[in-house]
Amino acid sequence: MKIFFVTDLHGSEICWKKFLNAGPFYGADVVILGGDVTGKAMVPIVQRANGTWEASLQDHRDILESEDAIVEFEKRVMNRGYYPIRVSDQEYVAMQEDEDLVDKRFKEVMLDGTERWIAMAEEKLAGTGIRVVACPANDDMFEIDDLLTHAQVVETGDEDHPIQLGDYTMVSMGWTNPTPWHTFREAEEPELAKRIERALSAASDPERTILNFHAPPYGSKLDNAPALNPDLTYVSGGQALRPVGSTSVMGSIKEFQPFLSLHGHIHESKGAARIGKTLALNPGSSYEEGILQAAIVNIDEKKRKVKNYQLVNG
Amino acid sequence: MAAVGEAPTLFLRKATGLVKGWSRFDAFLYSFMSVNFVTLGLFFALSVLAFVPDGQVLPALLISGVFVTFLVVTYAGLISVMPRAGGDYVWQSRVLGGGIAFVLAVTGWWFILWYWAPIYGNILNVEVFQPLAAVFKLDGVSTFLASNNGLFFVCVVTVLLAGYLVSLGMEGYARVQKVCFYIGMIALGVVLLVMLFGSRSGFQSAFNQEAANLFGAKGDVYNETIKVAHTNNGGAIVPSLGFSPFFGPTFLLVPFLCFWILWPNWGATLYGEVRGASDFRRVMGGMMWGLWVTVAVAVVFILLASKFFGWEFFNGANLNYWAAVYGFGDQTIPVWSYAPLLASFYFHSQLITALIILAFGAWFIGWAGTLFLSSTRVIFAAAFDRILPEKVADVSERRHVPVWALILMLVPALIVSAFYAYTSTFKTWILDATLVIAVTFFGTAIAAMILPWRKKRIYENSPIARYKVAGIPLITVAGFLTAAFLGFNLWHWFTNDLYAINDPDSLLFMGSMYLLALVIYVVAKVVRKQQGIDLAAIHQEIPVE
Repeated sequence: MKIFFVTDLHGSEICWKKFLNAGPFYGADVVILGGDVTGKAMVPIVQRANGTWEASLQDHRDILESEDAIVEFEKRVMNRGYYPIRVSDQEYVAMQEDEDLVDKRFKEVMLDGTERWIAMAEEKLAGTGIRVVACPANDDMFEIDDLLTHAQVVETGDEDHPIQLGDYTMVSMGWTNPTPWHTFREAEEPELAKRIERALSAASDPERTILNFHAPPYGSKLDNAPALNPDLTYVSGGQALRPVGSTSVMGSIKEFQPFLSLHGHIHESKGAARIGKTLALNPGSSYEEGILQAAIVNIDEKKRKVKNYQLVNG
Repeated sequence: MAAVGEAPTLFLRKATGLVKGWSRFDAFLYSFMSVNFVTLGLFFALSVLAFVPDGQVLPALLISGVFVTFLVVTYAGLISVMPRAGGDYVWQSRVLGGGIAFVLAVTGWWFILWYWAPIYGNILNVEVFQPLAAVFKLDGVSTFLASNNGLFFVCVVTVLLAGYLVSLGMEGYARVQKVCFYIGMIALGVVLLVMLFGSRSGFQSAFNQEAANLFGAKGDVYNETIKVAHTNNGGAIVPSLGFSPFFGPTFLLVPFLCFWILWPNWGATLYGEVRGASDFRRVMGGMMWGLWVTVAVAVVFILLASKFFGWEFFNGANLNYWAAVYGFGDQTIPVWSYAPLLASFYFHSQLITALIILAFGAWFIGWAGTLFLSSTRVIFAAAFDRILPEKVADVSERRHVPVWALILMLVPALIVSAFYAYTSTFKTWILDATLVIAVTFFGTAIAAMILPWRKKRIYENSPIARYKVAGIPLITVAGFLTAAFLGFNLWHWFTNDLYAINDPDSLLFMGSMYLLALVIYVVAKVVRKQQGIDLAAIHQEIPVE
C-alpha cells in the first residue's frame, strides 16, 4: 500500500489540486490531508464609490478594471490559500469596525471553500479506486467537520472515528497542545492525553496502526518552530528555534509504538524521526508558495512495516 | 477605520503561524556578526593589503560593498520567494536539480567548514591567546602557542567550543551572541576613541616601550618595523591612503576582501505566513545594514589606523607577520600586530590591555557558533531527502543535540586542523575556504537568475514578482551581477598566484571535496534506487489541472 500524506494546506487551491492529482502521479492508493484544511486570511476586493475595484495582495495595491482582472486576481488569492471577498466600500468599512462581521464572513467563505474542494475531489477521484482522506485540525473551525463527514468520496476521521486502510487502522486527532494563537482545537496536555487514549482504544495492534496526529511529538525535531516573544514577534530575528510539539503525543508514541506516525502543524519542521519502532514523519508545508510538500510511504503489507518513504516537494 | 485612499488590507483570523514580524535589529545583528570586522576583517582582509602594493583599500572596499549588495538582494529575493526553505541547498535543488545542489551545498556548507575550523582556531590564537600570554609575560605559554602543537591545541579548543555552541541550540546561542555584540562594540568603541584622540608620536613611543617590555625588543622598533617591511616587500609597502588608483590594481584587493565581506547572507531566513513585499524589504534591510555598517566601521577604522598607527607602519607590521608565517621574511615582534593590542599599549597598563583583549574576544565568541550551525542544517536537509542515511539527522533525546551531524563536523575538522597545524602548505590555502563557499553562492546566483522562468508559477506567486529593472525581474538582474562578481573573484583565485591557492595541491584539496560529494550522491542514488526510492522524484512538480 502506498500512502501520499500532506498536511496544512490552509486553503491553498493550487495545493489542493495537486493533492488530488498526486494519487495517479505517484501511484498512491490513498491520499491523506492530515489537517488544517482551511485558510487564514480574507482579501477584500473593494468596490469604490466611483465603481472601480481595488485590492491589495502581498503589499501590492491593484486597481482591477475589468471582470477578467478581478477573476484573475481572485485566482492568485486562492492559490496562496486566502479567500477573496468582493465587498462594497461601506461593507469593507463596517467589517473593519466589527469583528463579528468578519467572523461571520470567514465562516461563510471557509464553508464555501471546503464544499468546493469536496466537489472537486468527487469530480476528480470518484470511481478511480484512489481513496482520499481529509481531516480537520486545530486551525479548522468545527463547522467543516459536518461537510467532511457527509462527503461521498472524501473520508474523514477523528478521535472517535478511525479509518480502516486495508488491514491498517488510522486513528486521527486534529487537536494540539496550546499555541499562542488560541485556535479552535487546542487543549492542555492532560486533556490531550485523554483524547489520545480515546483514539487509541480503536487500535489494538501497533503493527497495524497508523497515527495521524496533527501535533508532532515534543522534542522529536519534527516540532522546531521559531521562538516568539509574547507580542508574537520573533526571538533573535527568527534564528532561535524551539521544540513546541506535544508531550502527550510523544508519550503515546513511546508507549504504543505504532509502526507509522504522521504529523504536521509545524510547517518549517519537515523531517523524519525514529521513536523506538515508530517512524514519525512531518512533511512540512509551503502552501503559500503553491509547493505541495508531502511524504510518500510505501508499506510492505506482508512484513507489516514501512518498506520505504520519501519526502517530496511536488 | 480605513482612511480614504488607503489600500484595502486583508482580514486575518486567529490561526497558527501568524507572527507579527521580526526585529530589524536582530536581523542586523546576525548579519553584522557574520561579516565580522574584528575576526575576519582585521585578521586577514585588512592585514594583507601590502600584498597588492599599488592597490587602494578604500575604493576596493566600496566596490566590494556595492557588489555584495547585489548578493544581498539575490538572497533576500530567494528567501522571499521560498521562505522557510532553508537556504542554498533547497533553492538550488528546486531550480537546478538535486545532484548539482547536493554537491555545491555540502562542499560549501559542510566539507569546507572542516577547513574553516583551524582558520577559526588560528584567529582565536592570534587575537586572544597569544596576546594574553604576551601581556602576562608567560614566555613558556607564548612559545607553546606559537608552536605547531600550540596551534593544534587552540584548534581543538575552537572545535569543541563551536560544537558546544551548536549543542546550546540557536536560541541559547542567540542570547550569547547578543551579549557578545554589546561587549564587542564597547571594546571597539574604546579602541577607536584611543585611535581618534591619541597621537601617532604617543603611539610610537608606547609601542617602542611595550615592545621592549613584553618582547625584549630594543631601540626604535616602530621605525625598524617599517624598514623590515620594505625589505620583506622588496620596495614600497602600500601607497598613501586615498582613492587613486580607483581601478586597476585596486581590483586585486577585492578577492582578499571577500574572505571577510561576502557573508551578510549567512543564515538569513524567514518564517511566518501571510507575508508581503514589506518582508522582502525587511529581510534585505537586515542584511544590508549588517553589510554597510561593517563597511562604515571599516572605513572609520582605516582612516584612524592611518592617523594613529601610521598607514605605512600598520601595513608593514601586518606584512611582517605574514612574512614570518610564510617564511619569506622577518618580524620585529613575535606576535601578530593585532590592532586592539597595539592601541591598548597607549594605556601602558597590562590590566587594561588584558581587559581590551578579553573584551575583543567577544567578537570571536559571538561568531564561533556560526562555524557548525549551518552545516547541521544542510546535513539534516540531505538526510531528509534520503541522500544521507537517516541516522545523521538524529538528535539526542534529552538535549536535542544533533549528535551524528556534530560528529560529521567535529572529527574531520580535527583531522584537517592537524594538517593545518603540522604542515606548511595547508596554512597558505586560506582563500580556499572562501572560494568553495563562493562557488556555492555562484550556483545560487545562477538559480536566482533563471528562477522566474524555471519556476514560473512559484516566482509569479511571490511578493517580488513585480520588482523589475527595465522590464527584467529584479532577482535576475541581482543574480546576474552577483554571479559576475563571484565569477570575477573565482577567475582571480584560480589563475593569479597572488592568492596562493592555484597550486596543484590546493586544487587537489578542493577537488577532492567535490569528488567526495559527487561520490556520495551517486552512491545514494544507486542505493536508494535499489530500495525503491527515486531521488529525482523529490522535486518533480505534480500537475495542477
